[in-house]
Amino acid sequence: MKSLRRFFARLTSFMARRAQDERLREEIEEHIALQTAENIRAGLSPVEARRQAMLKFGGVEAIKQDYRARRGLPFVENVVQDVRFALRSLRRTPGLTTFVIITLALGIGMTSATFSMVDALIFRPYPVPHPSAIVTLVSTTHDSPFDDFSYREYLDIRDKTNSYDGVIANADMEAVGFSSEPGATPRIKGGMMVSGNYFHVLGVEPRLGRGFREDEDQVPGRNPVVILGPDFWRHEFASNPSVLGKTILLNGAKFTVVGVAPDSFPGMLTFGHPDFYMPLAMAPVFSTNIQKNFFEDRDDRELTVQGRLKPGISLEQARNEVAVLAKNFEDEYPNVNRGRGAVVFTQFQARTTEDDNWKFGVIFLILALAVLLVACTNVAGLLLSRSRARAREIAVRLALGAGRLRLIRLLLTESMILATLGGLAGIAIGYGVVEWFHSKDSIVFATELPMAIPFQMDKRVLLACVGLSVLSAVLFGLAPALQSTRVDLVNALKSADVDVPGRKRLWGRNMLVIAQVSMSLMLLTASFLMARGFQHDLMQNTGFTKDHLLMTKFDPRLIQYNATQTQQFYKLLAERMRETPGVQSVALTQNIPLGNDDFDGVAFVPDGSQMAPDRSNFNSVMDTVDEGYFATMGIPILRGRTFLPTDTADSPRVVIVNEHFARHYWPSGDALGKHIRLDNSAGTPVEIVGVSQTIKYQNTQSPMDFVYMPLAQHPVARMVLMLRSTGDPLQLVQPVKDVVRSLDTNLPMLQTRPYEDFYVNQAVKGPRIAIDLVGTMGLVGLLLAVAGLYGLVAYNVSRRTREIGIRIALGAASSDVLRLVLGKGLVLVGVGTVIGLVLGFGLEQLMNSMLFDSGGVDVLAYAVVVPVMFLVTMLAAYVPARRATHIAPTQALRYE
Amino acid sequence: MATKQKTDVLQGTLALMVLKTLDVLGTLHGYGIARRIEQISGDLLSVNQGTLYPVLLKLEQEGAIESEWGASENNRRARFYKLTKEGRKQLQAETQDWEQTAAIIGRFFEAKAEDLS
Repeated sequence: MKSLRRFFARLTSFMARRAQDERLREEIEEHIALQTAENIRAGLSPVEARRQAMLKFGGVEAIKQDYRARRGLPFVENVVQDVRFALRSLRRTPGLTTFVIITLALGIGMTSATFSMVDALIFRPYPVPHPSAIVTLVSTTHDSPFDDFSYREYLDIRDKTNSYDGVIANADMEAVGFSSEPGATPRIKGGMMVSGNYFHVLGVEPRLGRGFREDEDQVPGRNPVVILGPDFWRHEFASNPSVLGKTILLNGAKFTVVGVAPDSFPGMLTFGHPDFYMPLAMAPVFSTNIQKNFFEDRDDRELTVQGRLKPGISLEQARNEVAVLAKNFEDEYPNVNRGRGAVVFTQFQARTTEDDNWKFGVIFLILALAVLLVACTNVAGLLLSRSRARAREIAVRLALGAGRLRLIRLLLTESMILATLGGLAGIAIGYGVVEWFHSKDSIVFATELPMAIPFQMDKRVLLACVGLSVLSAVLFGLAPALQSTRVDLVNALKSADVDVPGRKRLWGRNMLVIAQVSMSLMLLTASFLMARGFQHDLMQNTGFTKDHLLMTKFDPRLIQYNATQTQQFYKLLAERMRETPGVQSVALTQNIPLGNDDFDGVAFVPDGSQMAPDRSNFNSVMDTVDEGYFATMGIPILRGRTFLPTDTADSPRVVIVNEHFARHYWPSGDALGKHIRLDNSAGTPVEIVGVSQTIKYQNTQSPMDFVYMPLAQHPVARMVLMLRSTGDPLQLVQPVKDVVRSLDTNLPMLQTRPYEDFYVNQAVKGPRIAIDLVGTMGLVGLLLAVAGLYGLVAYNVSRRTREIGIRIALGAASSDVLRLVLGKGLVLVGVGTVIGLVLGFGLEQLMNSMLFDSGGVDVLAYAVVVPVMFLVTMLAAYVPARRATHIAPTQALRYE
Repeated sequence: MATKQKTDVLQGTLALMVLKTLDVLGTLHGYGIARRIEQISGDLLSVNQGTLYPVLLKLEQEGAIESEWGASENNRRARFYKLTKEGRKQLQAETQDWEQTAAIIGRFFEAKAEDLS
């Protein structure tokens, strides 16, 4: 009770500390006045009376301090004092302060921007309640660690597992033709088919209406209901609540809006936000594999399956359960499930297994952290140099009885302020970088569905920034603070040359230089390697012609064509286009090379080959093309023939494989004329009638097996029309439009553009941005290192001015002085280079394993980077060293 | 550490002396209190007079005394302290404590070997 009361008294007096100070002053004055009067009465002279009175009273300042300590909140008061003092002393050296803040801002800004990337790609939790309980179930094969499940498999998993509070499934987000009323031209929007329990299991409460009912997902085609995404509802329906119950058209079929998802739920995807959700049972309306029956075929694997783990069930238990289930599948359906397992992934595991995007993020983050580290060592070096200038000030403080801890706190407060300012500026830079990611012309991914760039400066990133700032303040502030308070008072007060070089102290400084040199060498190597890696990728001959090509995509299912109508349409389209003036040749292909869509896979068994007992087939990626494809794309057929109009649905089935495939499966003989069987060894035999040159199919991928099937024998609904033009490909846009309109006015043309534009955006721009980013980091790192090295050597010179002066006076030649000063810099740079080489080599291994599967060591990178680094750093050391040789002994000795 | 304890004890006793002084003499200013303690203790307590002020502040914060401005003998502004009801209670309790402690200690000093056997 008493202490509580005292606390409040302290709090109020903290507020009124000025008035209190005044009161004490007045009291003391009066006390002394009274005592003086008393002493005068006792017969002392007025002067002596006052002196005695003051002696009796004791140390006024000590009393004041004691009084103050009792009175207010000393800790807060000290901090306020420290901050005020630090601000004042920082203002006194504006140049240095600005430099430090900019340096830190660069480090923190780079790191925060890349952290936002890594966060989005790996860590950011799903936007649902209790996101950590959501796990992803994944089908695995010998060839793929991350495969989907089929509808039938999903039902079995849902019904036969006990580890989950519900198991959900969704198909990929796909392009859906949307029109708000009949007759309106459909526009392409992103729709996603989900299981009936999707919203319920995820725990997402619609902001309007309701989630799907389970019975709406039971009978194929029975319940055309749709739930809108929050953004779509806002933009398309102006947030109108009366949208509930309204009928909209998806791919020409009528759907009733039953709900709107909340703003907190933009969807479960990393890239892209679905505009609306439909039940899986409505699959007939959407783009499932038309070769298969979505609801029946166990190998029509198009679904991502996720579950919400029951409380108390471990990941291990869930894994065991699903492994047993996968084993049962294998026994029960050997034809389609042999060699196929299943695992359960956490969000982190799923995101780091599914694709390789995250690896870029991680590498960027490593590089950014290296920049931050260089920045911190740089600032530490600067503060260290400055602390020398302040050594006397600090010595005086210590001599007057300031506690060492108190001084360290004061100096750390200074660092904290620098870090805070640097952090703020860094956040601004981070915002800039993220904004730049978002800005339209930096990354134009040529997707038909708008891609949501998930990088954002949210509160998680801001929190990371704060953490980074504090961390860097400790990193760069602690060493100088510890050191500068450990001074020899006598020496420090005697002369300005405080810095009696103790071994320990020099060691710390040398470490700084070494760290800087090695870090920036690593950065430079990394950026060089990355640039070279991408460059290599870009320079690589793609194996086909990119110019004079116009592409445009069709999906007749958007307007409810059936399979026959679709194929009829393509046949007519190709025929009419061939007759169009300005068109040299015409091709249809399911996918374009280096496109955004994944190629389909094909499971097969080379005829006559003996499969291992746990394997029922091999897998390859494939494309469906028509007979004009190879000529139009300029892909050479090495042996055999191209597809012909005589390869029809009724003729024997044929394929063309690439050279890589042919070598892979027939290492000794010729693949030409051989057969493969589709799906498994009892499947349809297909003859290999041609071997094409291996081209580049996907970005940053090494050569791979590839199979082409003729469109006539393997009908596909969604195809890309490729036109080789005699002139500017853009001149063909209008003729294509006319032809399409003459066939069906309602059919949308998607992504009509010259292929070369697409290629540049797709294959060149992304890597170029990466190169720019990494190059910037490398450059910033180098600049910081140069500035740091220069500063440290210059500092060393100024510290040893007198010594050098004496040496010169005693007859040292300037070459001796140069050797003296430069020699040490040389050793440090040398050590730093060696360490940097080791780090760079480690990073190269990492990058090789993550991104560019080039293998081996890029000798050229080191051959360029190391000498450059060495030269630049030596120059940074040389300039101040040179200055040392001009030291005039007379002046140096008078220096103090 | 040792010096700190000593001052703590000193401040503890000083506080008690302040309370007693105010109890006996009523309202006094800081100098008056210091004089009085000096007189009674016969300069045995040769403390710096200034140390009195932090003690006064502590007592005021605890509510044992209160203060207001008034005019001193010099006819100048001075801060006058007086005991509160709370302070009187505290004084009583502490006086009792002190007497008890003193009695016990005294008995120990008087004790002879046979008394303890």
